[in-house]
Amino acid sequence: MSVPAGEPIIELAGISKTFGDRDGRVVAVDKVGLRIGRGEFVTLVGPSGCGKSTLFNIAAGLADPDPGGEIRFAGTRRAGRDLLGKVSFMPQRDLLLPWRRVIDNAILALEVEGMRRADARRKAGAMLPEFGLAGFERHYPHQLSGGMRQRVALIRTFLFERDLMLLDEPFGALDALTRTMMQRWLLDVWQRHRRSILFITHDIEEAIFLGDRVVVMTARPGRIKLDVPVALPRPRPAHVATSAEFLRIKTKLLDAIEEESMKSFMAAGA
Amino acid sequence: MSAAQRLVYPVLGLLVIAAVWEGAIVVFGIPTFVLPSLPAIAKAIAADLPALLAGLRVTLYEAAVGYVLGGAVAIALALAFVLAPLLERAAMPIIVAVNSVPVVAYAPVALVALGMGSASKIAMVALAAGFAVFVNAMNGLKAIDPAAVNLMRSFGAGALRTVWILRLPAALPAIVSGLRVAIVRSIIIAIVAEMLGAYAGLGQMIYLATQQVDFLRVWAAIVVASVASMTLYGLFAWVDRRLVWWK
Repeated sequence: MSVPAGEPIIELAGISKTFGDRDGRVVAVDKVGLRIGRGEFVTLVGPSGCGKSTLFNIAAGLADPDPGGEIRFAGTRRAGRDLLGKVSFMPQRDLLLPWRRVIDNAILALEVEGMRRADARRKAGAMLPEFGLAGFERHYPHQLSGGMRQRVALIRTFLFERDLMLLDEPFGALDALTRTMMQRWLLDVWQRHRRSILFITHDIEEAIFLGDRVVVMTARPGRIKLDVPVALPRPRPAHVATSAEFLRIKTKLLDAIEEESMKSFMAAGA
Repeated sequence: MSAAQRLVYPVLGLLVIAAVWEGAIVVFGIPTFVLPSLPAIAKAIAADLPALLAGLRVTLYEAAVGYVLGGAVAIALALAFVLAPLLERAAMPIIVAVNSVPVVAYAPVALVALGMGSASKIAMVALAAGFAVFVNAMNGLKAIDPAAVNLMRSFGAGALRTVWILRLPAALPAIVSGLRVAIVRSIIIAIVAEMLGAYAGLGQMIYLATQQVDFLRVWAAIVVASVASMTLYGLFAWVDRRLVWWK
């Protein structure tokens, strides 16, 4: 799928975030501009500490950007806090509540929205097979593998039905094999549900394999360095990773990221 | 472990203590008014049973009412402080000041203000039990993963809903352990308060028997009090395992 025309679901313009006081100011994010179209899958890569998570928190409404930037959500200008409850957000760790069964973890957001428990459970129960969790609704989180816990967290995120989903390294803690399975599965689910996704990752291959566009951030202060469209047809088979186009994009991204990693490495050493 | 297996070690421990107790009386020639023999204490308990049970009933009543009252106020206060941090900042110095003095020091004030009856004992138990619960509840409610709180916020949850869905269940282990500590403390404070001035109760019996140099009766009351205390503690430990099974 190419970049869709029409209005973006979210548009960040001139977004900065500074931490600390006058003595020790750290600019985490510096004048970032980013558009995500409706139904688009955008992946975000960058060296560690480049402000990816800060940018995420701003897009989720959890942190206020410095004054001066502009956030437009579904065409309307919004203050940071207005986005709370409008964006479905999945943090790095699954954050499942240990005292709740799988099904009751899945309906957490629905419960917050005030849906009746029985209705919410029915709705979540119908999604379990699609997420590979059929028969596990009455299990507790500690009885599940890492991949399954991550899928419960994903159902929880999916059931909070918002047009924009923010996924912060959702597969970062999984082993390589489980990770590949989860990527293919996520694309599958995304193609059926058609939400817009902003997906943070450390893994360049993952970024290309999943994304309509790959956005590279610079080392601190975080800026947008590169915005590369991925013109690979979908559905993408596993061997797409050996195609000439894939390798061309990968080379471009690796060069950009190495440059940034060196910069942050030198800065840390100085 | 089966119930029988769980009982083996405590029973063994009790037998060892009984043997050392009786042995010490014989070996060191301890006079019976300092350390009466166990059969003599058992006989005294049997002979005095109706009076001891009547005393126990009063003590347990005071301990139980004070415990429930203190525990409820403590949990409510901890929740209020978490929801309104400004309130916490204003009230915390007072709470710390009250808690820095042993509860028993307030006994004369309680006796003068509330009289020699049960009310003064209940007030002191509530204070003592309340603190144990309050400190634990506060710790539990605050020691929550900020990322989990952010997740709730991202779902659009307000402070009240976050407390109900996330903070309260997450703090439950800490609250329950506070409630467990407070059980034994409640009975101790009820007995001590009764010894300082009361019409009835195990503490009052201990005080009167001491005055009359009736040490068998003192020991009989002590044994009844510890058995009651241990039973309640065991009961609560059992409830705890069912309430907070995920830890």
